[in-house]
Amino acid sequence: MLEFQNVSKEFGPVKALANINFKVAKGEIVGLVGENGAGKSTLMKIIFGAYQADSGIILIDGRKTRFSSPRDAMSKGIGMVFQEQSLIGNLSIMENLFLGREREFQKCGLIDFKKMAEASRYQLAKVGLDIDPYMETARLSFSQRQLIELAKVLALEERSSGDLVILLDEPTSVLSEDEVTLLFELVNNLRERAAFIFVSHRLDEVIRLSDRIYVLKDGELVDEVAREKAVASHIQSKMVGREIDTEYYKQDDRLPFAPSPPLLSVQNASVRGRFEKISLDLHAGEVLCLVGTEGSGREAVLRAVFGMHKIDNGRIVYFGNEFLKIRSPNAAVENDVGYMPRERKIEGIFASMNVAENITSCQLPAYARYGLLNKAMELGLADEWIKRLSVKTPSARTDCNRLSGGNQQKVVLAKWRSTGSKIIMLDHPTRGLDIGAKEDVYSMIREMSSAGIGLLLIPDTFEEAIGLGHNIVVIKDGRTVERFDCLKQKVTPFDLVSAMT
Amino acid sequence: MRDILKSNYHWVTLFVLVILVGLVDSNFWNVKSLLILIGDIVPLFIMALGLTFAIYIGGIDLSAQSMANMITVIASLYLASLGLWIVPMCFLVGAALGGLSGLITTRFLVPSFISTLAIGGVCYSLAQWLSGNRALYMDSEIRDALFGWMLSSTGIVPNTIFVGAAVFAGALLIERRSTLGRRLKAVGSAELAAVASGMRVSRIKVMAFALSGGLAALAGVIFAIKLSGGAPSIANGFLLPAIVAVLVGGTPLTGGVGGVVNTLVGTMIVAVIRSSMLYLEVEATHQQMVFGIVLIIAIVFTIDRSKLSIVK
Repeated sequence: MLEFQNVSKEFGPVKALANINFKVAKGEIVGLVGENGAGKSTLMKIIFGAYQADSGIILIDGRKTRFSSPRDAMSKGIGMVFQEQSLIGNLSIMENLFLGREREFQKCGLIDFKKMAEASRYQLAKVGLDIDPYMETARLSFSQRQLIELAKVLALEERSSGDLVILLDEPTSVLSEDEVTLLFELVNNLRERAAFIFVSHRLDEVIRLSDRIYVLKDGELVDEVAREKAVASHIQSKMVGREIDTEYYKQDDRLPFAPSPPLLSVQNASVRGRFEKISLDLHAGEVLCLVGTEGSGREAVLRAVFGMHKIDNGRIVYFGNEFLKIRSPNAAVENDVGYMPRERKIEGIFASMNVAENITSCQLPAYARYGLLNKAMELGLADEWIKRLSVKTPSARTDCNRLSGGNQQKVVLAKWRSTGSKIIMLDHPTRGLDIGAKEDVYSMIREMSSAGIGLLLIPDTFEEAIGLGHNIVVIKDGRTVERFDCLKQKVTPFDLVSAMT
Repeated sequence: MRDILKSNYHWVTLFVLVILVGLVDSNFWNVKSLLILIGDIVPLFIMALGLTFAIYIGGIDLSAQSMANMITVIASLYLASLGLWIVPMCFLVGAALGGLSGLITTRFLVPSFISTLAIGGVCYSLAQWLSGNRALYMDSEIRDALFGWMLSSTGIVPNTIFVGAAVFAGALLIERRSTLGRRLKAVGSAELAAVASGMRVSRIKVMAFALSGGLAALAGVIFAIKLSGGAPSIANGFLLPAIVAVLVGGTPLTGGVGGVVNTLVGTMIVAVIRSSMLYLEVEATHQQMVFGIVLIIAIVFTIDRSKLSIVK
């Protein structure tokens, strides 16, 4: 009933989706899997009308169509159950169910809540919920809210001309095992009413629920597997794609680090709601990679080390000094801990400040006397680091927003290098960079490692983890599930995906 | 080319306005009257300089006018006993109350427009209480002895202009050369990046509001000296043009760019608008309307929409 023919989408030079051929038949449940960045969410957004395809054809029941906006997609029978729940907490269940459709319940310009409640009960029955529609959604449990999301989407049934296609985006990420089973039963029972597209990181669940599974890799559909033939290991190898022997990640460039007491030792540390009982040691010259899905808690580990999250349990020992407590980013910087956040434009650089100002931003007192800055000294330092890291910029006085992404990353690295940071944490340092700039970042990471800096890295891809890391820790749902020593064993992307999903 | 024009809107505006007003009002080009015009706007300019720091970090200080009001009362009351010390003392009072707004904003996460509005209310009440709700007059002998020089001229240049220039130089030094100025810029430019660079963002914000409060107080002192007295509502009508001066100058409400030089230009623009209203015989009661309209136009031109996702 919904069919994509040769659909492509580009963001500037980046090909997000290439020639996608994809279809869902009535009563079918189709799974969609892929690594982070494979193009799953772009595809979902095109189906839901939030993005428009650059080329290709979209068909509904064999007729050519296009979705100009989510609203348009909804009126054509496309519904989306959001991963980040979209319910408004201080509105009642029924107000949420019919959000934007209040006009249907108007009487003399006022809303007829009785009629709305009645209609709500009918919709709630579809998902097997017997609950007072006047209740505020903030008071419901997570799984109840999820069902209401689903009911909200099913309420489109009476409105759209054809049958429904429902997108389920990571619907199980916060549900317990029992709740997942219930949700799956419900989805199975709703088959006559709608077709489902199920997107999840959890491969076992996708295999359990889907009739067919599409595998996305680098914006292309690389495989389509029927349930009878679906084997986790096969799908995982397709998700990873590349054969392992391609010399992509140059493992040979990696030098072993000299044994020493750890620079950083995270011991059974927990931050409520983010991660639990994480332990790891980072040594001088070591590159330690944290691998996991989005929302697995990796970022929070970095932030806890940087003093941005308070740890509830366990402890973090810096430089073997048990008395050194770091409770703020300021303390972290003063103790030579550096952090390159993921959102480069918001947290990494100061866009309207120049290169020199960016580089000295975490060590201003060193360039000041009586509170006044010595600009000559500052520019001297900036010039030195621009040369050392070969930052491409007209001058140290150029505003950072005029630099390319790769050079902005170099500026952030220069900032931490120039302060003499001994631990540097990098969150997706190559995100959004082109190949050349990525290579530059890789060689800087190797250079820092050989200079004896301890690096805690959240890589953008598995290849980065394997190619750069001395050790890899796999985190799933906030817990450590697996550790790999890359110097002792040959780790493959396949090993990592198996541990993650 | 477009970029150059865009980042120099304020100069272009000033230039065009001066030409326009000069064409209409032939007396406008009289150097002496121009200098008097500039001298008259010094208290407003100093208040606008203070506001620049609050707006530079993406905040706002709505207490500036009430602060200046209160300080006219305090200055009138304590001039006799404190003498010259009245100036630093008033500055400190202003800085302390401004810093308090900043503390409320950072500690309790109250948006600055509310915390400063509240502190402004406190200032206004204090002014009424201290003055017994009437106009106060300074001892004219003491005033003339200590500050008489400020009211006279050097050649044809009113001495208040030198005062304004000195405060401007101090503000420029803070903005361009001091670590504080750099940190203010960092917070205004990307607050999260400032946090990730280990800056103590709360402390920096408190300093911005303290500067704003201190300079508003300084504006109050100079105003009181000029008028030889004070009253709880004597500086009413300052706030709107002062905010206009900052925004027309090109420091957007989102912060991070602009600065005190922009405010200098913005204040000139306000001065020209004022003088043209005098020439056109716009009634005093209508002037705030004009400034209100100019303010909205200025915001429309200066706001950085990429930084805003939702406006309420």
